[in-house]
Amino acid sequence: MNIFWRELKAGRKGLIIWSACMVLLIASGMGKYTAYSSGGASGELFNQLPSTVKALLGMGSLDVNVMSGYFALLFLYVELTAAIHAVLLGSSIIAKEERDKTAEFLMAKPVSRSTVVTFKLLAALTNIVVLNLVTLISSLVLVSIYNKGQDITGEISYFLWSMFMVQLVFLSFGALLSAWMSQAKSSGAAAAGVLVGSFVISKITDLSDRLSVLNVLSPFKYFSYNRIVAGEGLSPGILILTVLLTAGLSALTYYFYGKRELDIG
Amino acid sequence: MTVIELNHLTKHYGKSRGIRDVNLAVEEGEIFGFIGPNGAGKSTTIRTLLGLIYPTSGSAAVFGRNCTEHPEIRKELGYLPSEVFYYDNMRVIDLLNYSASFYKKDCTKRIRELAEMMDLDLKKKIDDLSFGNKKKVGIVQGLLHEPKLIILDEPTSGLDPLMQQKFFELIAEENRKGATVFFSSHILSEVQKMCSRVAFIKEGEIIKLERMSTLQESSYKRISLESAAAIRKEDFSLAGVSHLEVNGNAAKFIFKGNINAIMKAITAVELRNLSVEEPDLEEIFMHYYVKED
Repeated sequence: MNIFWRELKAGRKGLIIWSACMVLLIASGMGKYTAYSSGGASGELFNQLPSTVKALLGMGSLDVNVMSGYFALLFLYVELTAAIHAVLLGSSIIAKEERDKTAEFLMAKPVSRSTVVTFKLLAALTNIVVLNLVTLISSLVLVSIYNKGQDITGEISYFLWSMFMVQLVFLSFGALLSAWMSQAKSSGAAAAGVLVGSFVISKITDLSDRLSVLNVLSPFKYFSYNRIVAGEGLSPGILILTVLLTAGLSALTYYFYGKRELDIG
Repeated sequence: MTVIELNHLTKHYGKSRGIRDVNLAVEEGEIFGFIGPNGAGKSTTIRTLLGLIYPTSGSAAVFGRNCTEHPEIRKELGYLPSEVFYYDNMRVIDLLNYSASFYKKDCTKRIRELAEMMDLDLKKKIDDLSFGNKKKVGIVQGLLHEPKLIILDEPTSGLDPLMQQKFFELIAEENRKGATVFFSSHILSEVQKMCSRVAFIKEGEIIKLERMSTLQESSYKRISLESAAAIRKEDFSLAGVSHLEVNGNAAKFIFKGNINAIMKAITAVELRNLSVEEPDLEEIFMHYYVKED
Protein backbone atom coordinates (compact mmCIF):
# COMPACT_ATOMS: atom_id res chain seq x y z
CA MET A 1 0.00 0.00 0.00
CA ASN A 2 2.92 2.36 0.73
CA ILE A 3 3.90 2.28 -2.93
CA PHE A 4 0.36 3.32 -3.84
CA TRP A 5 0.42 6.37 -1.55
CA ARG A 6 3.91 7.23 -2.64
CA GLU A 7 2.83 7.22 -6.30
CA LEU A 8 -0.29 9.27 -5.61
CA LYS A 9 1.78 11.85 -3.83
CA ALA A 10 4.42 11.92 -6.53
CA GLY A 11 1.77 12.36 -9.22
CA ARG A 12 -0.32 14.95 -7.42
CA LYS A 13 1.14 18.02 -9.06
CA GLY A 14 0.92 16.50 -12.53
CA LEU A 15 -2.66 15.50 -11.98
CA ILE A 16 -3.64 18.99 -10.89
CA ILE A 17 -2.06 20.46 -14.01
CA TRP A 18 -3.76 17.95 -16.30
CA SER A 19 -7.10 18.58 -14.60
CA ALA A 20 -6.73 22.35 -14.94
CA CYS A 21 -5.88 21.96 -18.63
CA MET A 22 -8.91 19.76 -19.10
CA VAL A 23 -11.24 22.33 -17.51
CA LEU A 24 -9.71 25.07 -19.66
CA LEU A 25 -10.10 22.97 -22.78
CA ILE A 26 -13.78 22.34 -22.11
CA ALA A 27 -14.40 25.95 -21.08
CA SER A 28 -12.76 27.38 -24.19
CA GLY A 29 -14.51 24.79 -26.37
CA MET A 30 -17.92 25.57 -24.94
CA GLY A 31 -17.22 29.28 -25.35
CA LYS A 32 -17.28 28.77 -29.11
CA TYR A 33 -20.63 26.98 -29.02
CA THR A 34 -22.55 30.18 -29.62
CA ALA A 35 -20.75 30.60 -32.95
CA TYR A 36 -21.92 27.17 -34.07
CA SER A 37 -25.43 27.30 -32.67
CA SER A 38 -26.39 30.88 -33.47
CA GLY A 39 -28.23 29.42 -36.43
CA GLY A 40 -28.69 31.04 -39.81
CA ALA A 41 -25.64 31.52 -41.96
CA SER A 42 -22.99 29.70 -39.89
CA GLY A 43 -25.14 26.60 -39.42
CA GLU A 44 -25.70 26.46 -43.14
CA LEU A 45 -22.00 26.90 -43.69
CA PHE A 46 -21.12 23.83 -41.67
CA ASN A 47 -23.72 21.75 -43.44
CA GLN A 48 -22.32 22.71 -46.79
CA LEU A 49 -18.76 21.70 -46.02
CA PRO A 50 -17.54 18.71 -48.05
CA SER A 51 -17.77 15.49 -46.06
CA THR A 52 -13.98 14.96 -46.08
CA VAL A 53 -13.45 18.39 -44.50
CA LYS A 54 -16.13 17.63 -41.95
CA ALA A 55 -14.47 14.33 -41.23
CA LEU A 56 -11.12 16.00 -40.66
CA LEU A 57 -12.68 18.59 -38.38
CA GLY A 58 -14.08 15.72 -36.38
CA MET A 59 -17.70 16.44 -37.22
CA GLY A 60 -18.43 13.49 -39.46
CA SER A 61 -22.14 13.24 -39.75
CA LEU A 62 -22.77 14.94 -36.42
CA ASP A 63 -25.12 17.86 -36.30
CA VAL A 64 -22.97 20.44 -34.55
CA ASN A 65 -25.78 22.95 -34.34
CA VAL A 66 -27.37 21.09 -31.42
CA MET A 67 -25.62 20.68 -28.08
CA SER A 68 -25.17 16.90 -28.16
CA GLY A 69 -23.57 17.05 -31.60
CA TYR A 70 -21.41 19.97 -30.64
CA PHE A 71 -20.30 18.24 -27.45
CA ALA A 72 -19.35 15.19 -29.49
CA LEU A 73 -17.14 17.41 -31.65
CA LEU A 74 -15.50 18.91 -28.57
CA PHE A 75 -15.30 15.51 -26.88
CA LEU A 76 -12.92 14.27 -29.56
CA TYR A 77 -10.26 16.66 -28.23
CA VAL A 78 -11.16 15.97 -24.61
CA GLU A 79 -10.76 12.26 -25.21
CA LEU A 80 -7.47 12.77 -27.04
CA THR A 81 -6.16 14.77 -24.08
CA ALA A 82 -7.23 12.11 -21.57
CA ALA A 83 -5.67 9.40 -23.73
CA ILE A 84 -2.34 11.25 -23.91
CA HIS A 85 -2.44 11.62 -20.14
CA ALA A 86 -3.20 7.94 -19.66
CA VAL A 87 -0.55 6.60 -22.00
CA LEU A 88 2.19 8.85 -20.62
CA LEU A 89 1.17 8.07 -17.06
CA GLY A 90 1.12 4.34 -17.75
CA SER A 91 4.57 4.31 -19.26
CA SER A 92 6.20 6.72 -16.81
CA ILE A 93 4.84 5.16 -13.64
CA ILE A 94 6.60 1.90 -14.50
CA ALA A 95 9.64 3.37 -16.22
CA LYS A 96 10.53 6.05 -13.73
CA GLU A 97 12.21 3.76 -11.19
CA GLU A 98 14.78 2.89 -13.80
CA ARG A 99 14.90 6.38 -15.30
CA ASP A 100 15.53 7.98 -11.89
CA LYS A 101 17.77 5.07 -10.84
CA THR A 102 15.60 4.35 -7.81
CA ALA A 103 14.92 0.77 -8.94
CA GLU A 104 17.89 -0.42 -6.91
CA PHE A 105 16.37 1.11 -3.77
CA LEU A 106 12.86 -0.16 -4.39
CA MET A 107 13.68 -3.67 -5.56
CA ALA A 108 15.94 -4.36 -2.58
CA LYS A 109 12.89 -3.95 -0.35
CA PRO A 110 10.83 -6.99 0.61
CA VAL A 111 8.39 -6.61 -2.28
CA SER A 112 7.91 -8.70 -5.37
CA ARG A 113 7.89 -7.14 -8.80
CA SER A 114 4.22 -7.96 -9.26
CA THR A 115 3.35 -6.17 -6.02
CA VAL A 116 5.18 -3.13 -7.33
CA VAL A 117 3.27 -3.28 -10.61
CA THR A 118 -0.05 -3.78 -8.82
CA PHE A 119 0.25 -0.72 -6.60
CA LYS A 120 1.64 1.41 -9.38
CA LEU A 121 -1.23 0.47 -11.68
CA LEU A 122 -3.73 1.14 -8.89
CA ALA A 123 -2.23 4.58 -8.34
CA ALA A 124 -2.39 5.28 -12.07
CA LEU A 125 -5.97 4.04 -12.14
CA THR A 126 -6.85 6.47 -9.36
CA ASN A 127 -5.28 9.26 -11.39
CA ILE A 128 -7.31 8.54 -14.51
CA VAL A 129 -10.51 8.21 -12.48
CA VAL A 130 -9.88 11.64 -10.97
CA LEU A 131 -9.19 13.18 -14.37
CA ASN A 132 -12.32 11.51 -15.71
CA LEU A 133 -14.46 12.86 -12.87
CA VAL A 134 -13.02 16.35 -13.27
CA THR A 135 -13.89 16.14 -16.96
CA LEU A 136 -17.37 14.85 -16.22
CA ILE A 137 -18.20 17.53 -13.67
CA SER A 138 -16.76 20.41 -15.67
CA SER A 139 -18.58 19.17 -18.78
CA LEU A 140 -21.90 18.98 -16.97
CA VAL A 141 -21.45 22.43 -15.42
CA LEU A 142 -20.16 24.18 -18.53
CA VAL A 143 -22.68 22.55 -20.86
CA SER A 144 -25.54 23.56 -18.60
CA ILE A 145 -24.36 27.17 -18.80
CA TYR A 146 -24.54 27.26 -22.60
CA ASN A 147 -27.27 24.75 -23.31
CA LYS A 148 -30.60 26.25 -24.19
CA GLY A 149 -32.05 23.13 -25.74
CA GLN A 150 -32.54 19.56 -24.56
CA ASP A 151 -30.73 18.31 -21.45
CA ILE A 152 -27.80 16.04 -22.46
CA THR A 153 -26.62 14.79 -19.05
CA GLY A 154 -27.17 11.18 -20.14
CA GLU A 155 -25.17 11.63 -23.33
CA ILE A 156 -22.32 13.32 -21.46
CA SER A 157 -22.23 10.46 -18.96
CA TYR A 158 -21.98 7.92 -21.78
CA PHE A 159 -19.25 9.94 -23.45
CA LEU A 160 -17.28 10.01 -20.23
CA TRP A 161 -17.82 6.28 -19.71
CA SER A 162 -16.41 5.63 -23.15
CA MET A 163 -13.52 7.95 -22.33
CA PHE A 164 -12.79 5.94 -19.20
CA MET A 165 -12.55 2.78 -21.28
CA VAL A 166 -10.20 4.50 -23.72
CA GLN A 167 -8.13 5.76 -20.77
CA LEU A 168 -7.90 2.19 -19.45
CA VAL A 169 -6.68 0.85 -22.76
CA PHE A 170 -4.02 3.52 -23.14
CA LEU A 171 -2.93 3.31 -19.51
CA SER A 172 -2.35 -0.42 -19.70
CA PHE A 173 -0.75 -0.05 -23.11
CA GLY A 174 1.71 2.56 -21.80
CA ALA A 175 2.55 0.34 -18.83
CA LEU A 176 3.11 -2.64 -21.10
CA LEU A 177 5.47 -0.69 -23.34
CA SER A 178 7.67 0.36 -20.43
CA ALA A 179 7.70 -3.17 -19.00
CA TRP A 180 8.55 -4.69 -22.36
CA MET A 181 10.94 -2.24 -24.04
CA SER A 182 14.55 -2.77 -23.02
CA GLN A 183 15.05 0.98 -22.89
CA ALA A 184 12.29 1.93 -20.47
CA LYS A 185 13.25 5.57 -20.80
CA SER A 186 12.12 5.76 -24.40
CA SER A 187 8.81 4.05 -23.74
CA GLY A 188 7.06 7.40 -23.21
CA ALA A 189 8.04 8.59 -26.67
CA ALA A 190 7.06 5.25 -28.20
CA ALA A 191 3.72 5.27 -26.39
CA ALA A 192 2.96 8.81 -27.53
CA GLY A 193 3.91 7.80 -31.07
CA VAL A 194 1.51 4.88 -31.05
CA LEU A 195 -1.23 7.11 -29.67
CA VAL A 196 -0.77 9.69 -32.43
CA GLY A 197 -0.78 6.82 -34.92
CA SER A 198 -4.05 5.48 -33.62
CA PHE A 199 -5.54 8.96 -33.70
CA VAL A 200 -4.47 9.42 -37.31
CA ILE A 201 -6.03 6.04 -38.15
CA SER A 202 -9.28 7.20 -36.62
CA LYS A 203 -9.20 10.24 -38.90
CA ILE A 204 -8.37 8.19 -41.98
CA THR A 205 -11.20 5.75 -41.39
CA ASP A 206 -13.54 8.72 -41.12
CA LEU A 207 -12.68 9.57 -44.70
CA SER A 208 -13.73 6.28 -46.21
CA ASP A 209 -16.00 3.46 -45.07
CA ARG A 210 -13.87 0.90 -46.86
CA LEU A 211 -11.08 1.30 -44.30
CA SER A 212 -13.30 0.78 -41.28
CA VAL A 213 -11.56 -2.53 -40.49
CA LEU A 214 -8.60 -0.41 -39.34
CA ASN A 215 -10.75 0.93 -36.53
CA VAL A 216 -9.72 -2.03 -34.43
CA LEU A 217 -6.31 -0.34 -34.15
CA SER A 218 -7.79 2.86 -32.84
CA PRO A 219 -9.45 2.88 -29.40
CA PHE A 220 -10.83 6.31 -30.33
CA LYS A 221 -13.16 4.44 -32.66
CA TYR A 222 -14.31 1.72 -30.29
CA PHE A 223 -17.32 3.67 -29.10
CA SER A 224 -19.46 5.29 -31.77
CA TYR A 225 -20.12 8.98 -31.16
CA ASN A 226 -23.18 8.85 -33.36
CA ARG A 227 -24.63 6.08 -31.25
CA ILE A 228 -24.14 8.08 -28.06
CA VAL A 229 -25.56 11.25 -29.63
CA ALA A 230 -28.55 9.21 -30.76
CA GLY A 231 -29.09 8.30 -27.11
CA GLU A 232 -28.28 4.61 -27.51
CA GLY A 233 -25.40 4.52 -25.04
CA LEU A 234 -22.43 2.17 -25.34
CA SER A 235 -22.41 -1.20 -27.07
CA PRO A 236 -22.15 -3.86 -24.31
CA GLY A 237 -20.16 -6.21 -26.57
CA ILE A 238 -17.53 -3.57 -27.22
CA LEU A 239 -17.43 -2.66 -23.53
CA ILE A 240 -16.61 -6.27 -22.69
CA LEU A 241 -13.99 -6.49 -25.42
CA THR A 242 -12.36 -3.29 -24.19
CA VAL A 243 -12.22 -4.59 -20.64
CA LEU A 244 -10.70 -7.84 -21.93
CA LEU A 245 -8.14 -5.89 -23.96
CA THR A 246 -7.17 -3.91 -20.86
CA ALA A 247 -6.90 -7.10 -18.82
CA GLY A 248 -4.74 -8.69 -21.52
CA LEU A 249 -2.42 -5.69 -21.74
CA SER A 250 -2.11 -5.60 -17.94
CA ALA A 251 -1.38 -9.33 -17.74
CA LEU A 252 1.40 -8.88 -20.29
CA THR A 253 2.73 -5.98 -18.24
CA TYR A 254 3.08 -8.28 -15.21
CA TYR A 255 4.64 -10.98 -17.34
CA PHE A 256 7.25 -8.78 -18.99
CA TYR A 257 8.05 -6.82 -15.84
CA GLY A 258 8.55 -10.06 -13.95
CA LYS A 259 11.12 -11.21 -16.49
CA ARG A 260 12.60 -7.81 -17.09
CA GLU A 261 16.34 -7.22 -17.01
CA LEU A 262 16.26 -4.09 -14.88
CA ASP A 263 18.58 -1.36 -16.02
CA ILE A 264 20.40 -0.50 -12.80
CA GLY A 265 23.26 2.00 -12.69
CA MET B 1 24.05 -21.30 9.63
CA THR B 2 24.87 -20.17 6.14
CA VAL B 3 23.51 -16.71 5.47
CA ILE B 4 24.66 -16.16 1.90
CA GLU B 5 25.17 -18.98 -0.53
CA LEU B 6 26.23 -18.59 -4.14
CA ASN B 7 26.41 -21.70 -6.28
CA HIS B 8 28.09 -21.51 -9.65
CA LEU B 9 26.53 -18.09 -10.05
CA THR B 10 27.02 -16.78 -13.57
CA LYS B 11 25.71 -13.62 -15.12
CA HIS B 12 26.53 -12.34 -18.59
CA TYR B 13 25.41 -9.02 -19.76
CA GLY B 14 26.73 -6.32 -21.97
CA LYS B 15 29.93 -7.33 -23.67
CA SER B 16 32.54 -7.71 -21.00
CA ARG B 17 30.71 -7.16 -17.73
CA GLY B 18 29.45 -10.05 -15.70
CA ILE B 19 30.52 -12.83 -13.39
CA ARG B 20 31.51 -16.44 -14.00
CA ASP B 21 30.95 -19.42 -11.78
CA VAL B 22 31.03 -17.60 -8.45
CA ASN B 23 30.85 -19.85 -5.38
CA LEU B 24 30.66 -18.37 -1.91
CA ALA B 25 29.25 -19.21 1.49
CA VAL B 26 29.04 -16.58 4.19
CA GLU B 27 28.34 -17.82 7.72
CA GLU B 28 26.14 -16.19 10.30
CA GLY B 29 27.82 -13.50 12.37
CA GLU B 30 30.84 -12.99 10.19
CA ILE B 31 32.06 -9.88 8.46
CA PHE B 32 32.93 -10.96 4.98
CA GLY B 33 35.09 -8.82 2.74
CA PHE B 34 34.51 -8.86 -1.00
CA ILE B 35 37.45 -7.24 -2.68
CA GLY B 36 38.08 -6.37 -6.27
CA PRO B 37 38.91 -3.46 -8.54
CA ASN B 38 36.17 -1.41 -10.18
CA GLY B 39 34.38 -3.42 -12.83
CA ALA B 40 35.43 -6.82 -11.46
CA GLY B 41 31.81 -7.87 -10.87
CA LYS B 42 31.25 -6.97 -7.22
CA SER B 43 28.04 -5.04 -7.82
CA THR B 44 26.82 -7.62 -10.32
CA THR B 45 27.31 -10.37 -7.73
CA ILE B 46 25.42 -8.41 -5.08
CA ARG B 47 22.57 -7.42 -7.39
CA THR B 48 22.14 -10.99 -8.54
CA LEU B 49 22.16 -12.15 -4.91
CA LEU B 50 19.44 -9.62 -4.06
CA GLY B 51 17.33 -10.66 -7.04
CA LEU B 52 17.59 -7.21 -8.64
CA ILE B 53 18.88 -8.92 -11.74
CA TYR B 54 18.52 -12.53 -12.76
CA PRO B 55 21.43 -14.97 -13.09
CA THR B 56 22.29 -16.53 -16.44
CA SER B 57 22.94 -19.76 -14.57
CA GLY B 58 23.64 -20.98 -11.07
CA SER B 59 21.83 -19.88 -7.95
CA ALA B 60 21.97 -17.40 -5.10
CA ALA B 61 20.31 -17.70 -1.71
CA VAL B 62 19.94 -15.55 1.36
CA PHE B 63 19.02 -17.38 4.57
CA GLY B 64 18.56 -20.44 2.40
CA ARG B 65 16.07 -18.81 0.08
CA ASN B 66 16.15 -17.20 -3.31
CA CYS B 67 15.29 -13.50 -3.26
CA THR B 68 13.35 -13.58 -6.50
CA GLU B 69 11.05 -16.40 -5.45
CA HIS B 70 10.80 -15.23 -1.84
CA PRO B 71 11.04 -11.44 -1.87
CA GLU B 72 9.87 -11.38 1.76
CA ILE B 73 13.30 -12.71 2.75
CA ARG B 74 14.62 -9.23 2.00
CA LYS B 75 12.97 -8.06 5.23
CA GLU B 76 16.01 -9.37 7.05
CA LEU B 77 18.36 -7.60 4.75
CA GLY B 78 19.75 -4.09 4.61
CA TYR B 79 21.43 -2.95 1.43
CA LEU B 80 23.58 0.08 0.74
CA PRO B 81 24.13 0.45 -3.01
CA SER B 82 27.42 1.82 -4.31
CA GLU B 83 25.74 4.78 -5.92
CA VAL B 84 22.78 6.17 -4.10
CA PHE B 85 19.89 7.68 -6.01
CA TYR B 86 16.67 8.59 -4.30
CA TYR B 87 13.38 10.22 -5.11
CA ASP B 88 14.48 13.81 -5.50
CA ASN B 89 11.41 15.59 -4.28
CA MET B 90 11.52 13.93 -0.90
CA ARG B 91 13.00 15.18 2.28
CA VAL B 92 15.43 12.88 4.05
CA ILE B 93 12.86 11.93 6.67
CA ASP B 94 10.21 11.18 4.00
CA LEU B 95 12.60 8.82 2.22
CA LEU B 96 13.53 7.10 5.47
CA ASN B 97 9.90 6.73 6.49
CA TYR B 98 9.09 5.37 3.05
CA SER B 99 11.94 2.90 3.39
CA ALA B 100 10.77 1.93 6.89
CA SER B 101 7.21 1.39 5.65
CA PHE B 102 8.36 -1.73 3.83
CA TYR B 103 9.34 -3.49 7.03
CA LYS B 104 6.17 -3.39 9.08
CA LYS B 105 7.83 -2.29 12.27
CA ASP B 106 8.32 1.00 14.02
CA CYS B 107 11.71 2.36 13.07
CA THR B 108 11.24 5.97 14.24
CA LYS B 109 13.58 5.66 17.17
CA ARG B 110 16.27 3.89 15.20
CA ILE B 111 16.08 6.53 12.46
CA ARG B 112 16.67 9.31 15.04
CA GLU B 113 19.58 7.40 16.60
CA LEU B 114 21.28 6.67 13.31
CA ALA B 115 20.76 10.19 11.96
CA GLU B 116 22.25 11.65 15.09
CA MET B 117 25.18 9.29 14.95
CA MET B 118 25.85 10.04 11.29
CA ASP B 119 25.17 13.76 11.76
CA LEU B 120 22.44 13.82 9.15
CA ASP B 121 19.85 16.59 8.85
CA LEU B 122 16.49 14.86 8.46
CA LYS B 123 14.61 17.91 7.25
CA LYS B 124 16.72 18.63 4.19
CA LYS B 125 15.59 17.84 0.68
CA ILE B 126 17.53 14.95 -0.78
CA ASP B 127 18.06 17.06 -3.89
CA ASP B 128 20.13 19.54 -1.92
CA LEU B 129 22.45 16.99 -0.30
CA SER B 130 26.09 16.52 -1.19
CA PHE B 131 27.32 13.12 -2.37
CA GLY B 132 28.64 12.26 1.08
CA ASN B 133 25.38 13.20 2.75
CA LYS B 134 23.39 11.14 0.25
CA LYS B 135 25.64 8.27 1.18
CA LYS B 136 24.69 8.80 4.83
CA VAL B 137 21.02 8.64 3.86
CA GLY B 138 21.88 5.34 2.21
CA ILE B 139 23.54 4.05 5.36
CA VAL B 140 20.62 5.00 7.60
CA GLN B 141 18.18 3.59 5.02
CA GLY B 142 20.04 0.29 5.01
CA LEU B 143 20.24 -0.06 8.79
CA LEU B 144 17.03 1.46 10.13
CA HIS B 145 15.15 -1.84 10.34
CA GLU B 146 18.00 -3.58 12.17
CA PRO B 147 18.55 -6.24 9.53
CA LYS B 148 20.20 -9.58 10.21
CA LEU B 149 22.23 -9.30 7.03
CA ILE B 150 23.88 -6.07 5.97
CA ILE B 151 25.15 -5.81 2.41
CA LEU B 152 27.43 -2.89 1.72
CA ASP B 153 28.63 -2.03 -1.75
CA GLU B 154 31.54 0.41 -1.61
CA PRO B 155 30.08 2.04 1.49
CA THR B 156 32.80 4.51 2.35
CA SER B 157 33.25 6.38 -0.92
CA GLY B 158 32.31 9.99 -0.40
CA LEU B 159 32.52 9.86 3.38
CA ASP B 160 35.17 11.93 5.13
CA PRO B 161 37.63 10.01 7.36
CA LEU B 162 35.79 10.96 10.55
CA MET B 163 32.50 9.67 9.15
CA GLN B 164 34.20 6.54 7.85
CA GLN B 165 35.41 5.90 11.38
CA LYS B 166 31.91 6.35 12.79
CA PHE B 167 30.53 4.16 10.07
CA PHE B 168 32.95 1.34 10.88
CA GLU B 169 32.05 1.59 14.55
CA LEU B 170 28.39 1.40 13.61
CA ILE B 171 28.93 -1.70 11.49
CA ALA B 172 31.06 -3.32 14.19
CA GLU B 173 28.29 -2.63 16.70
CA GLU B 174 25.64 -4.19 14.43
CA ASN B 175 27.91 -7.18 14.02
CA ARG B 176 28.29 -7.52 17.78
CA LYS B 177 24.50 -7.55 18.02
CA GLY B 178 24.51 -10.50 15.68
CA ALA B 179 24.25 -9.11 12.16
CA THR B 180 26.17 -10.73 9.35
CA VAL B 181 27.98 -8.22 7.15
CA PHE B 182 28.91 -8.57 3.50
CA PHE B 183 31.32 -5.77 2.74
CA SER B 184 32.35 -5.03 -0.82
CA SER B 185 35.22 -2.68 -1.49
CA HIS B 186 38.13 -1.99 -3.79
CA ILE B 187 40.25 -0.88 -0.87
CA LEU B 188 41.62 -3.81 1.05
CA SER B 189 43.04 -1.81 3.93
CA GLU B 190 39.60 -0.58 4.95
CA VAL B 191 38.22 -4.07 5.33
CA GLN B 192 41.30 -5.71 6.79
CA LYS B 193 40.58 -4.19 10.18
CA MET B 194 37.20 -5.77 10.54
CA CYS B 195 36.72 -8.71 8.21
CA SER B 196 37.08 -12.31 9.28
CA ARG B 197 37.33 -13.65 5.74
CA VAL B 198 37.88 -12.08 2.41
CA ALA B 199 37.22 -13.13 -1.18
CA PHE B 200 39.04 -11.59 -4.10
CA ILE B 201 37.19 -11.15 -7.36
CA LYS B 202 38.88 -10.32 -10.61
CA GLU B 203 37.33 -10.02 -14.06
CA GLY B 204 34.19 -11.73 -12.88
CA GLU B 205 35.83 -14.69 -11.16
CA ILE B 206 36.67 -15.41 -7.54
CA ILE B 207 40.41 -15.88 -7.54
CA LYS B 208 41.01 -16.39 -3.85
CA LEU B 209 39.13 -16.83 -0.65
CA GLU B 210 41.07 -16.64 2.56
CA ARG B 211 40.81 -16.05 6.28
CA MET B 212 42.06 -12.61 7.11
CA SER B 213 44.36 -14.11 9.72
CA THR B 214 45.90 -16.45 7.16
CA LEU B 215 46.42 -13.58 4.80
CA GLN B 216 48.12 -11.53 7.45
CA GLU B 217 50.20 -14.40 8.71
CA SER B 218 51.04 -15.80 5.33
CA SER B 219 54.69 -15.91 4.59
CA TYR B 220 54.68 -13.10 2.12
CA LYS B 221 57.92 -11.18 2.37
CA ARG B 222 58.93 -8.06 0.59
CA ILE B 223 62.63 -8.37 -0.11
CA SER B 224 64.88 -5.58 -1.33
CA LEU B 225 68.57 -5.99 -1.84
CA GLU B 226 71.62 -4.32 -3.27
CA SER B 227 74.68 -6.15 -4.46
CA ALA B 228 78.23 -5.28 -5.40
CA ALA B 229 77.76 -6.38 -8.98
CA ALA B 230 74.93 -6.06 -11.44
CA ILE B 231 72.03 -8.39 -10.75
CA ARG B 232 70.51 -10.49 -13.48
CA LYS B 233 66.81 -11.30 -13.51
CA GLU B 234 67.66 -14.98 -13.74
CA ASP B 235 69.26 -14.88 -10.29
CA PHE B 236 65.81 -14.72 -8.73
CA SER B 237 63.65 -16.52 -11.22
CA LEU B 238 62.42 -19.21 -8.87
CA ALA B 239 58.99 -20.28 -7.73
CA GLY B 240 57.30 -17.93 -5.26
CA VAL B 241 58.94 -14.76 -6.53
CA SER B 242 56.69 -12.11 -7.96
CA HIS B 243 56.87 -8.45 -8.84
CA LEU B 244 60.55 -8.76 -9.51
CA GLU B 245 62.14 -5.41 -10.31
CA VAL B 246 65.79 -5.33 -11.19
CA ASN B 247 67.53 -2.01 -11.47
CA GLY B 248 71.27 -2.31 -11.99
CA ASN B 249 72.70 -3.39 -8.68
CA ALA B 250 69.38 -3.30 -6.87
CA ALA B 251 66.49 -5.74 -6.89
CA LYS B 252 63.17 -6.00 -5.10
CA PHE B 253 60.39 -8.55 -5.18
CA ILE B 254 57.67 -10.24 -3.16
CA PHE B 255 58.27 -13.80 -2.05
CA LYS B 256 55.94 -16.46 -0.78
CA GLY B 257 57.21 -19.94 -0.02
CA ASN B 258 59.97 -21.71 1.75
CA ILE B 259 62.26 -19.09 3.20
CA ASN B 260 65.33 -21.32 2.86
CA ALA B 261 64.98 -21.49 -0.89
CA ILE B 262 65.07 -17.74 -1.26
CA MET B 263 67.90 -17.39 1.23
CA LYS B 264 70.03 -19.66 -0.92
CA ALA B 265 69.36 -17.49 -3.95
CA ILE B 266 70.16 -14.36 -1.97
CA THR B 267 73.42 -15.65 -0.55
CA ALA B 268 74.53 -16.50 -4.08
CA VAL B 269 75.00 -12.80 -4.78
CA GLU B 270 77.52 -10.52 -3.12
CA LEU B 271 75.27 -8.46 -0.84
CA ARG B 272 75.68 -4.85 0.13
CA ASN B 273 72.37 -4.37 1.72
CA LEU B 274 69.28 -6.42 2.44
CA SER B 275 65.87 -5.81 3.90
CA VAL B 276 63.10 -8.32 4.52
CA GLU B 277 59.73 -6.87 5.43
CA GLU B 278 56.11 -7.89 5.91
CA PRO B 279 54.25 -6.52 2.93
CA ASP B 280 51.01 -4.75 3.80
CA LEU B 281 47.84 -6.29 2.52
CA GLU B 282 47.57 -3.68 -0.17
CA GLU B 283 50.60 -5.23 -1.79
CA ILE B 284 49.26 -8.75 -1.54
CA PHE B 285 46.12 -7.39 -3.05
CA MET B 286 48.01 -5.84 -5.93
CA HIS B 287 49.68 -9.17 -6.36
CA TYR B 288 46.26 -10.65 -7.15
CA TYR B 289 45.07 -7.82 -9.24
CA VAL B 290 47.83 -6.93 -11.61
CA LYS B 291 46.59 -8.00 -14.99
CA GLU B 292 48.56 -10.78 -16.56
CA ASP B 293 50.29 -9.54 -19.68
